Amino acid sequence: MRTSKRVVWLAALLPLGIAWLTPTAHADNLSCLICHNALEGTFTAQDGKPAHLHVDGEKYAASVHGDMECTTCHLKFVDNPHGTPDEEVDESIVKLSIAVARKSPRDPIALAACVQCHDEIYEEVRESVHGANIFQKGENDGPLCLDCHGSPHEITPAEAAGSTSPVAYRHVVATCGRCHEQKSISLKYGFSTDIISRYDESFHGKKYLLGGTQSPVCTTCHGTHLVRSQHDPQALVHGANRLKLCGQCHPGANEKFVAAITHKPVGKDNPIPYYAEKTLIILTFMVISACALHVLLDIYALIRTTLLVRKYRGKP
Amino acid sequence: MTPQTPTETSPVALPEEVQRFNLTFRIQHAVMAGSFLVLFFTGWALKFHEVQGSAAWIDLWGGPRVAGLVHRAAGITMLLDSLFHVGYLAYRAVRGKLRWDIIPDWQDCKDAYNNVRYFLGLAADKPRFRRFNYLQKFDYWAVFWGIFVIGASGLALTFPTKAAVIFPAWSANWIWELVSVMHSDEALLAIVFILFWHFYNEHLRPDVFPMSWIWITGRMSVEELRERHPKEFERLFPGHSAVSEAAPPSEAGATIDDPPDNPVSTSA
Repeated sequence: MRTSKRVVWLAALLPLGIAWLTPTAHADNLSCLICHNALEGTFTAQDGKPAHLHVDGEKYAASVHGDMECTTCHLKFVDNPHGTPDEEVDESIVKLSIAVARKSPRDPIALAACVQCHDEIYEEVRESVHGANIFQKGENDGPLCLDCHGSPHEITPAEAAGSTSPVAYRHVVATCGRCHEQKSISLKYGFSTDIISRYDESFHGKKYLLGGTQSPVCTTCHGTHLVRSQHDPQALVHGANRLKLCGQCHPGANEKFVAAITHKPVGKDNPIPYYAEKTLIILTFMVISACALHVLLDIYALIRTTLLVRKYRGKP
Repeated sequence: MTPQTPTETSPVALPEEVQRFNLTFRIQHAVMAGSFLVLFFTGWALKFHEVQGSAAWIDLWGGPRVAGLVHRAAGITMLLDSLFHVGYLAYRAVRGKLRWDIIPDWQDCKDAYNNVRYFLGLAADKPRFRRFNYLQKFDYWAVFWGIFVIGASGLALTFPTKAAVIFPAWSANWIWELVSVMHSDEALLAIVFILFWHFYNEHLRPDVFPMSWIWITGRMSVEELRERHPKEFERLFPGHSAVSEAAPPSEAGATIDDPPDNPVSTSA
């Protein structure tokens, strides 16, 4: 039933697909994309798990990897109706694929294949607090390539103006927030879910939210692929390293200056600003109430005198 | 500020109007009002940055960078204006031209109490106000306090690395939060206060609507003075009754430019 439906779909889309893809995608990819461009929705693989087989040919062609062959990354087909490529997969990639298998159960070889071109970045990620969680602790949490950069077939340059990349300046805070605002992850690793909202409230975050193009975002201070825990002495934001970090934008930054950014909520553990804010709110409330009352009384007296004086004294 | 000093035998003919604010004061007020509005417009979106439309509004000002520069320029203008004001008052004091009657005293409390009684219909007449009534004094000192709190914190936020040199080390963990809370919450208070209080009293009240023109002309009609500041009227025009006379004021007499605050000859 499902197969017959699929065939009908494919037959209908075949000529359209050829006409559409010819000018853009890599020529060798055509034979893959003709089908995979049309394969919408989720399919049940042979192991009973869902598989997403759709590749948007147009987006792929427009992506930074658009001129690469499918088999550059899909070195081996794990579970499929196709004949797998003949060449043996390099042993280092197979090793890496085992380490990252939990991040891509469907095709770990393809996820490991990024290392073929991006080996330095892969090394940085491995060393980072995110990578260490996966590679050393064997946890499922912590992002690898695709968790931040999005679908491998649709990666666009992050630096371009108006970029839709999840790691582009405009989107990177939300991308970090996908995990760093999640309660379960925060509880597990003991970090605060307020980080993103506190950033939004900070001097930098306000400017960023109002459309700033120069205010720092998460990656500006914490690093990108080599992001380290704040407790790591090598972290850019650790201790005295901050002087250098903040000093890049604020020449002359001293210890008292760099203490300004904490991402901590103003709570009772920091009583002076906490109670100062409470006092100011009460003061505002009292002043405004008193003013409002005075204005209302004034209006009442004005109406009363206007009506009464007109009536009894004949004055205008 | 005041008009005409009657040097001959009282009662003198009443002028049509009296001068309340000389040109220097009027310019100070205009600069203050202008910079206040700019600070309000650019700062509001910063305080409510998460609200839809704030980014679009900031865009109208040329984006957050330019809006920030405009905000700082307006802030420094306001601070300079305030410094000039204090300096100008000191100058007038030295020349013996300053009356200290903007300072609140016990009589203002009594006036406020009696005004509320009047509002409620418990007293037949309004209190007989002096040159500045308690509302005006409150307005003035609220700005004074606001400039001090918002100006000091604003300077620290404008020059944070310089401020960090001055701040003591033991304050580093709370001073920045305190400074930003002071700046933004006190500014909110100032804005709401001005919109509520100042706009009602000087713009919306039926007797001044659409606004009291005194901030441009500096002058107030003698009739209005008699009505709203009877004690001051009596001080300026001894011999005239502060109770409004039916006859219109004479057109004789003129206002004096920049008169002394303290016309010593009145009781001589």
